[in-house]
Amino acid sequence: MRINTSRTELVALVSVGLIVLGLPAAALGYQYWLRPATAPTHVIDIDLRVPQDGGFAPEAITVTMGEPVTLRFASLDVTHGIAIGPGLGVDLGHVDPGQVKEITLTFDHPGTYTYYCNAWCSPDHWRMRGTLQVIDPDNPGFVPPAQSDPMIQALIVEGVDIDAKHEEGHGHDDDPALEITRPLSAQHGADLLDSVTLPDEVIDPLWRRSHAPTQALELLGTANPQMTQADLIDVVAYLWTADTAPETILNAQVLYNKNCAACHGQYGGGDGPAADTTAENPVIFADPAFMFEMRSDVLYAKIRRGGMGTDMPNFGTLFTQEETWALVEYLWTLPVQLANQGEE
Amino acid sequence: MQQLLENRPRLIGLPVLALMLVVWLIPPPGATHATTHEISLDATQYEYAPGRVHVNQGDRVVITLTAADVVHGFYLDGYGLERRVEPGVSQQITFTADKAGKFRYRCSVSCGPLHPFMIGELVVESNTPYWRATGLVLVAVGGMLAYLWLTGKNKSYQEVISGK
Ligand code: HEC
Ligand SMILES: [Cu+2]
Ligand SMILES: [Cu+2]
Repeated sequence: MRINTSRTELVALVSVGLIVLGLPAAALGYQYWLRPATAPTHVIDIDLRVPQDGGFAPEAITVTMGEPVTLRFASLDVTHGIAIGPGLGVDLGHVDPGQVKEITLTFDHPGTYTYYCNAWCSPDHWRMRGTLQVIDPDNPGFVPPAQSDPMIQALIVEGVDIDAKHEEGHGHDDDPALEITRPLSAQHGADLLDSVTLPDEVIDPLWRRSHAPTQALELLGTANPQMTQADLIDVVAYLWTADTAPETILNAQVLYNKNCAACHGQYGGGDGPAADTTAENPVIFADPAFMFEMRSDVLYAKIRRGGMGTDMPNFGTLFTQEETWALVEYLWTLPVQLANQGEE
Repeated sequence: MQQLLENRPRLIGLPVLALMLVVWLIPPPGATHATTHEISLDATQYEYAPGRVHVNQGDRVVITLTAADVVHGFYLDGYGLERRVEPGVSQQITFTADKAGKFRYRCSVSCGPLHPFMIGELVVESNTPYWRATGLVLVAVGGMLAYLWLTGKNKSYQEVISGK
């Protein structure tokens, strides 16, 4: 009887001890040892605040090549949007306060990416960016050099200043001033093609990339003295917008509306609601006289590198080279009434 | 006919009731003349301009929504319409104001600390019941006058009052 009681007590004591000590130990062990050890992915929490209050926290992360990593984005103030580029095609959409959006990624080579806000969350929204560095565990010090961009290299070799002011212009003094008297019609230009002599350069798409429409106009004018300038302008408008596939333009329009319209305006009028917050005025793509002085490769370089203290952001760390070209092609459609696609 | 009505003045109630029924049932004039309201609605932290919009029931409403500073939203109570709007890219919302009453529109994007107070009001006026009620009262008053006139015909005021 006595022995029984003390044995029962012992059993009870041991059970209580197990519950009091073992339960927390098991919970903590699971949380801090078992779970991380068995979890398939490495989780990184990233907090979002408007740039005035710090932007992303953390602002830079490092992940290991080959190891799945889960990024969890949570907003602490207003609605943000999350995309990661270039070339990953990751757009998590809006992140509302209190909401967590996550994505699991596995990188198979070292490189540098940018996670950025793509919802206009505050006047400084476009400064809200973070860097994602992918390292090779066998060679952690190695950071691949930024992919060199042949187009920008070529501009440097040629000595083109992409920050040149347009008013000063590089036009020749004996040029007749470009007079644009009516809206540019690519359709009208297409209809005229048969009656126009096209110089070889103008037909070459690569030449067109590295020359301004005014230069093409000059060549066309010499080759076609019988044509009026207004008609030749339409021919140029056609040539500069003809090569683009409609779906490329549509995709570029989505990018433009999300990333550019707030400053440059939905239709390129330079009149977006954020235009009065920038150090310089956003340029007006809808103005044919402005665009006719511009080279596609300079537009491209400007989008990738951004302005120098003008508040034109750089997009080279967000978009691929193809996406940037698509944007340039979209910019050309802004001053031009496009040719009717069905009648090609 | 006149004789009949003079003998039984209450019969006047029949045409009056018939007329009241007609006034109550004729199709509302608004249904045929519904207009289209084009409204530009600009969202800023933390208000809409205009903050109140008046339309009539049955009108088509075309709202062009713009955002002047940051991303905002538009949610219209009662109609369940929702839209997000990014600065620089306007959005068009088209609907028919088929429900009368006052409906709030509120920002559906957390745009900042005062976001919950970003509210406007759509007033959908239903004019027709008001005019119907007025019409009914007029017809009823007319009927009453006719009744009084019939009962009191050829009698002096005094005679009517004294009930002779
Ligand atoms: C925060 C406002 C802002 C945003 C967003 C913005 N820009 Fe700009 N952009 C400017 C300003 C200001 C200028 C004029 C100063 C300059 O050229 O650097 C400019 C100039 C440019 C130019 C230069 C043309 C030249 O003169 O060489 C191009 C091209 C351009 N923007 C394209 C874009 C594209 C494409 C996007 C979207 C992917 C974009 N911008 C987004 C403000 C903005
Ligand atoms: Cu943002
Ligand atoms: Cu809002």
